[in-house]
Amino acid sequence: MQDEIRRELTINASQERLYAAVSSAEELVKWFPETIEGSMEPGEEPVFGFGEHGSGKVLIVDARPHEYFAYRWIPGGNPFKGEFNEANTTLVEFHIKDNGDGSCQLTLTESGFSSLPEDFIEKAYKDNSGGWEFMLERLQTYIGKAAA
Amino acid sequence: MAMQEAQIYKALGDPVRLQMVQRLVEQSPLTLGEISRDLGVSRQGARKQIQVLVSANVVHLQPKGRQTEVTLDSASLRRAREFISRLEQQWDQRLLALKALVED
Repeated sequence: MQDEIRRELTINASQERLYAAVSSAEELVKWFPETIEGSMEPGEEPVFGFGEHGSGKVLIVDARPHEYFAYRWIPGGNPFKGEFNEANTTLVEFHIKDNGDGSCQLTLTESGFSSLPEDFIEKAYKDNSGGWEFMLERLQTYIGKAAA
Repeated sequence: MAMQEAQIYKALGDPVRLQMVQRLVEQSPLTLGEISRDLGVSRQGARKQIQVLVSANVVHLQPKGRQTEVTLDSASLRRAREFISRLEQQWDQRLLALKALVED
């Protein structure tokens, strides 16, 4: 049974650029949450805001420029304000590998679904459609920009 | 419905139970004895693990003569899979947005 989501893609950007995009609050808000409050340093717990769909705490686990960035959260970017522990979160990891030709291999994994308690999954499931619509809206903004 | 998915994930989040399910994926039904063989747990222990799978609707038990047969409920597994699929779609969309941003 699947306990992990894994996505790999080649991106035409430098390792530094890509690392900044997944690790700095300033860059993250351009493609992922709408707002970030708090520090993105390891051990910190910034709050990711998803507009009218609410906001949720994220625990920064590790940051190794320019190849690795990891945090724990409630899957789906769902509202969460409580105490973090390994049992109520999944681990999101970004691995960035330089291809040596101006592009990078980005590997995204989200793992730990089998250890989630029932009430969290139930919440994640309910809240999911909201997050999904939110991402579609954001994507359309990007496509619109690219076409302009 | 979401509670069910959660139970399924929990039920599969154990190496012994996962191995039982893998055996059933290869061949279903199996007898209680077949599914519990060589797992490094006592008969009673195996029985407990199977009960967790039954509670989550991952497997069903059916008496057959003097034996008990264990059947895999593939519909349950499919439902659990759909939950993950939705999260995967979210990541696909996010990563596309990321790609669009940094390749600009």
